[in-house]
Amino acid sequence: MAAVSATSIRWKDFECEVGFYGHIKENLTLLEAKPETVEKVCEIVKKQLALKDEIVLTPDSKFSALGADSLDTVEIVMGLEEEFGITVEEDNSQNITTIQEAADLIEKLVQQKAEA
Amino acid sequence: MPPREVHVQVTHSMPPQKIEIFKSLEDWAENNILVHLKPVEKCWQPQDFLPEPSSEGFHEEVKELRERSKEIPDDYYVCLVGDMITEEALPTYQTMLNTLDGVRDETGASLTSWAIWTRAWTAEENRHGDLLNRYLYLSGRVDMKQIEKTIQYLIGSGMDPRTENSPYLGFIYTSFQERATFISHGNTARHAKEHGDVKLAQICGTIASDEKRHETAYTKIVEKLFEIDPDGTVLSFADMMKKKISMPAHLMYDGRDDNLFEHFSAVAQRLGVYTAKDYADILEFLINRWKVGELTGLSGEGKRAQDFVCTLAPRIRRIEERAQERAKQAPRVPFSWIYGREVQL
Repeated sequence: MAAVSATSIRWKDFECEVGFYGHIKENLTLLEAKPETVEKVCEIVKKQLALKDEIVLTPDSKFSALGADSLDTVEIVMGLEEEFGITVEEDNSQNITTIQEAADLIEKLVQQKAEA
Repeated sequence: MPPREVHVQVTHSMPPQKIEIFKSLEDWAENNILVHLKPVEKCWQPQDFLPEPSSEGFHEEVKELRERSKEIPDDYYVCLVGDMITEEALPTYQTMLNTLDGVRDETGASLTSWAIWTRAWTAEENRHGDLLNRYLYLSGRVDMKQIEKTIQYLIGSGMDPRTENSPYLGFIYTSFQERATFISHGNTARHAKEHGDVKLAQICGTIASDEKRHETAYTKIVEKLFEIDPDGTVLSFADMMKKKISMPAHLMYDGRDDNLFEHFSAVAQRLGVYTAKDYADILEFLINRWKVGELTGLSGEGKRAQDFVCTLAPRIRRIEERAQERAKQAPRVPFSWIYGREVQL
């Protein structure tokens, strides 16, 4: 009986440790990725649409306003999947119309992946 | 409710001065395009492929046809019926050809080469729907009333291929479509053979060879346009590809399924009768046929169009590959054309 209790206590300590570490890691992820994510999205969009370097993109920039057709949008999503190692579902990809929306979805999916 | 076109319908986008080009090509068309028509006396007719009603052996022939048909699976019939319905909507296609500026049949019996072509093309195509209709009727495997309903809805709906009364856009569209039907009927022929129905394979194969001949004619017209007006033609090619080549029967409806065309296409894709890969292949075929990559003397806009067209096929293939990788198990869906029996999408 004593042995079992000892194991349980140690398991609990381990759990707490993981939980604590995971929580910290999560916070770090949230803090670090945001501007970086947006910037990466801008880079991918600029490349796909062959936009000149001087063109300034804002988080609210709409893909369609930048000259993206439906094929471009699909390829942008594919580029984001490759860059961030995520999978975007068909119905989600329909809702990505701006840089910010793309960055938000990416972060959500990266988070889900980390928690899995 | 039958579906409707969702895009804004644009008309007369070709500058009127260009109508002259087609007037000036009348003689050329007579010597180079009309030659691809077959004289009626030399043409096959649907009766050549069907049980002869006046013969003693008629009932036996029909019995034998139905025995062969029993061996053919439902999903194949969905494709064959979809193709037949498409062919039977011929009034829409003759109409479409007669919307084109510079080449339309102004009276219904106009003697311009273009008008002669359009009527004769229509007459040749008319046999396709008739043949498939009669075959499907005799087969006993499909719900003719539902099919007939679908045809009535489809002709009523029409279609806007976004050719905007421009023969540039129009003949590029028909070039693409003739090749698409050639491929599609070629595939149904091959499958019929695999299912042991050699006569059905001959039927589909004969229709396919008509389509190939028509493809030759239409691609020749566009080749001439590339020669006369490379900039205008390459811009038109890019425009059609950007708008995407919509399938003639995309507004199909049977009174029951609001996504009938989507479901039919999915089955055609799965069976390999007509696929996204075929779309990319046709595009590439046309690029090579018209030597689009080798065009010179283009305007800035023309060069961008050339670039767009010439790099489009790999992009489509890549997207299609990704979609295939992701493809989840598709549902089974009932088709009214086969009495509500279900088929895997």
